[in-house]
Amino acid sequence: MTTILGLIIIVCILLVIFYVARTVELTKELKGEADDTESASNAQGYLMFGFLIAFFIGIAWSSVHFLPMMLPAPSSVHGIEIEKLFNMTLFFTGIVFVVTHIVLFWFVFRYREKKGAKAYYFSHSNMLELLWTAIPAVVMLVLVVKGLVTWLSIFPDTKTLAKDTMVIEVTAQQFKWNIRYPGVDKDFGSRKIDTAHIGIATPDFWWKNELGIDWSDKASHDDFFADTLYLVKNKPVLMKLGALDVLHSFYLPHFRVKMDCVPGVPTTFYFIPNETTVEKRKLLSQLPEWQKINPLTGLQRYATFNFELACAELCGRSHYTMQKYVVVVEQAEYDEWVKAHIPIYVGIEKAKNAASAKLNGTEMNISNDSTMVIVDSMTKSRTDSKEVAVI
Amino acid sequence: MATEEVVNLHAEAHHDAHDEHHAETFLTKYIFSQDHKMIAKQFLYTGMFWAIVGAFLSLLFRLQLGWPDTAFPFLETILGKWAEGGKISNDFYYALVTMHGTILVFFVLTAGLSGTFSNLLIPYQVGARDMASGFINMLSYWFFVSSGVVMFCSFFVHTGPASGGWTAYPPINGMRDIAINKGSGLGLDLWIISMALFIVSVLLGGLNYVATILNLRTKGMTMWRMPLTIWAFLFTAILGILSFPALLAAVVLMSFDRLAGTSFYLSDIVVNGQLLSHHGGSPILFQHLFWFLGHPEVYIIIVPAFGLVSEVLSVHARKPIFGYRAMVFSLMAITVLAFLVWAHHMFVTGMNPFAGSIFVLFTLIIAVPSAVKVFNWITTIWRGNLRLNPAMLFAIGFVSMFISGGLTGIFLGNSAIDIPLHDTYFIVAHFHIVMGVAAFFGMFAGVYHWFPKMFGRHMNDAIGYIHFYGTLIGAYAIFFPMHFMTGIPRRYARFDSFEFANNFAGLNKFISIVAMIVFVLQLMFVINVVYSSLRGRRMKSINPYGATTLEWTTPVEHFHGNWPGEIPEVHRWPYDYAINGKEYITQITPLSEDEVSHS
Repeated sequence: MTTILGLIIIVCILLVIFYVARTVELTKELKGEADDTESASNAQGYLMFGFLIAFFIGIAWSSVHFLPMMLPAPSSVHGIEIEKLFNMTLFFTGIVFVVTHIVLFWFVFRYREKKGAKAYYFSHSNMLELLWTAIPAVVMLVLVVKGLVTWLSIFPDTKTLAKDTMVIEVTAQQFKWNIRYPGVDKDFGSRKIDTAHIGIATPDFWWKNELGIDWSDKASHDDFFADTLYLVKNKPVLMKLGALDVLHSFYLPHFRVKMDCVPGVPTTFYFIPNETTVEKRKLLSQLPEWQKINPLTGLQRYATFNFELACAELCGRSHYTMQKYVVVVEQAEYDEWVKAHIPIYVGIEKAKNAASAKLNGTEMNISNDSTMVIVDSMTKSRTDSKEVAVI
Repeated sequence: MATEEVVNLHAEAHHDAHDEHHAETFLTKYIFSQDHKMIAKQFLYTGMFWAIVGAFLSLLFRLQLGWPDTAFPFLETILGKWAEGGKISNDFYYALVTMHGTILVFFVLTAGLSGTFSNLLIPYQVGARDMASGFINMLSYWFFVSSGVVMFCSFFVHTGPASGGWTAYPPINGMRDIAINKGSGLGLDLWIISMALFIVSVLLGGLNYVATILNLRTKGMTMWRMPLTIWAFLFTAILGILSFPALLAAVVLMSFDRLAGTSFYLSDIVVNGQLLSHHGGSPILFQHLFWFLGHPEVYIIIVPAFGLVSEVLSVHARKPIFGYRAMVFSLMAITVLAFLVWAHHMFVTGMNPFAGSIFVLFTLIIAVPSAVKVFNWITTIWRGNLRLNPAMLFAIGFVSMFISGGLTGIFLGNSAIDIPLHDTYFIVAHFHIVMGVAAFFGMFAGVYHWFPKMFGRHMNDAIGYIHFYGTLIGAYAIFFPMHFMTGIPRRYARFDSFEFANNFAGLNKFISIVAMIVFVLQLMFVINVVYSSLRGRRMKSINPYGATTLEWTTPVEHFHGNWPGEIPEVHRWPYDYAINGKEYITQITPLSEDEVSHS
């Protein structure tokens, strides 16, 4: 029924348009080509001015409506600087936007065609050109200087970083993130990109060493994989980024962090998270938008707020699913979390032993049991993120 | 005037080899035409075809974005296995996005815009009987058609069309592995072949445009007496000639990687736990080559619109364009700077931050000539007598769009701000407004304005007004709210995997609905063009707008050679409006005795 009604309405609208068009055409034909375009111009002048007013009302309304739905304020030190630069640019461009639009549409209205009116011959003015070359140039220069000071401060020389900088390695692949922590020795075991290391585990064991971790390097023995990116408040962190198969981009929207992960080309990003997940939730609980009930959980939105990691470079069919949680905690809680993890090396040894024992003994399902051990060692923190979710 | 007679007249005036009398058959007149006016119409119609295809693809993916959980059974009817159960598959979603970008950027806004108006206006406005080489001009069009045919075929291969983004970044597009990405199989091979053919088309066309503008100007048509349209087409052609070969090089090298196992763009790649043998290449190299075309490409799209809008604003304001030379110099500055800003697309690729800072500087400097142009356009309509027909309205709409979209470029060009904005909806809003919608507005202004010159008939104004307001309001309703989706990644088939991205479902529905309405309005424009070209009001005088430029001194009926007798001599610049007590003085009017030439 609604479909039929909708179709009838559409047909009616099209008919009306057709007849209006036809009428206009016939009148024009009667009046001849040199007809006065004045009446049309007059109406259009008013319509354009009306559009300007509607446009500004629309912008004001959508700002009020959508601003609270946008990303919350940044949770990193450099993010605050970026926000300042953004607002400064918004200030300058906002003035230009409003003024040029008012002037443009006002002129359209004010100088709409009138019979007998004469246009004013005004072909150039070097003074004016100079004025509106110089002013934008100065504004741009201010923005460039401010921008570059911020930009270069975001990328310090990685050799001169503070001693207590945490290093975390994130390697992206279709469609997951491998988050590797250096363990208690704070030193990563090296990775060898060759066929002798990549993909080789033991013949009877399913786990593939896709990262090419070199087990002969003792430093690798306490490295562990995590399912959640844990960070420490006010502690600088250097992300070492890479990708196995295609381009990905390591994107932490709440921290204003984004850096591509490129196969064969290592990249880094250095930043300092400045509030914990719990603190952020407290802050958000003040905002009406975040006090709304989330229909999926039945809780208020701030209560289940989590920082997130996303992929921001098209990487294939499931690009939009590469999600991980990011949790910022105090140092003590972080240390506890580290201790709770089984290093990869230990997990694999256990799994291999279990597998070979089973192989020699019974015909039990091998991979299932070893899966349990290895998955347990690698995804220990999945439970952590659940815990975090209901703080 | 009979064609026969005209051709004879014309042959008398010029005894060039290709101008000799020859019988026109249907095939040589309408299909393999070497006449610039016919080729312009061919580009226009082909461009409109691709615009409808490209826009339709966007409606399909807007259905997915607006209603991610709803099944639309009709989709399965038209798309078959790509929409099983009426839901678009992820593979096809990314194919739609990729093809939408490719088609709109290359086939519509490059070939459709510059192809139509460079062909129509260059010989007319510089006073030439045709392009420097009519044959090469014809080849340019047919290379474009064949590139389109190849691209169209890629929709029907079993692994689907290219789906790794219109930018075709390796490694996802650099490996011919459909397990990684379905569209990277045969679909991308066809995409590369299509692009190669397209580049040939652009180069042939561009060389012809430059040769014609530099060599075939009529007597008295000095460079400083050329209309701004011609300046714009000249710089567009130069941009195209210098930048498109970089893309050709890039995709040829990528083909070697894909087919011959070389490693230009690939290194250290692990797929399914296996290390591939590619070693030593860099995916970033491709991005440099791509954007060395890709950034000039956005100016190839917008610069012809600059030219068309400058001309339309001046004619219908009945006033000279303000700051003619400043307009030319700003075009020149934009052309040069266009080659120095490409890496602003790559701030977060791990590029050396110092190199990034140089690109920040040039990128923000390019805002200065752009600002000069905007202020000059606004001053042009100041104290004019504005004839607000659809052409003029679209020209004014263009200025509004160019301001709105240009200003957000100042955010994105500043590398620090670009970190959170890169690859999010903020940039989708930015480039759709500044080079998508704005270039379309320039194209619409051009079509409404020069339609009588093309077809000898007028378009319907009532439909034109509806088309204008619908498109203006619709385009802002679609793209303005996207600025609020700052931080929401683009190229996501759905947003519910993320807490931070899933609260714009209502807005996404709204945008999708408006997009459909705007699409219907564009169909009305197409109907208006087709219907008016056959049945529209006939053009009665040769100069209906009271314009000064040479194309309005040619007869209404088209014939090969443009002017029945001698090509007229030019005596003055093209913007003598509201001067010496007259409303306008055409370029072919000699200076009166006490008059000083403007240039």
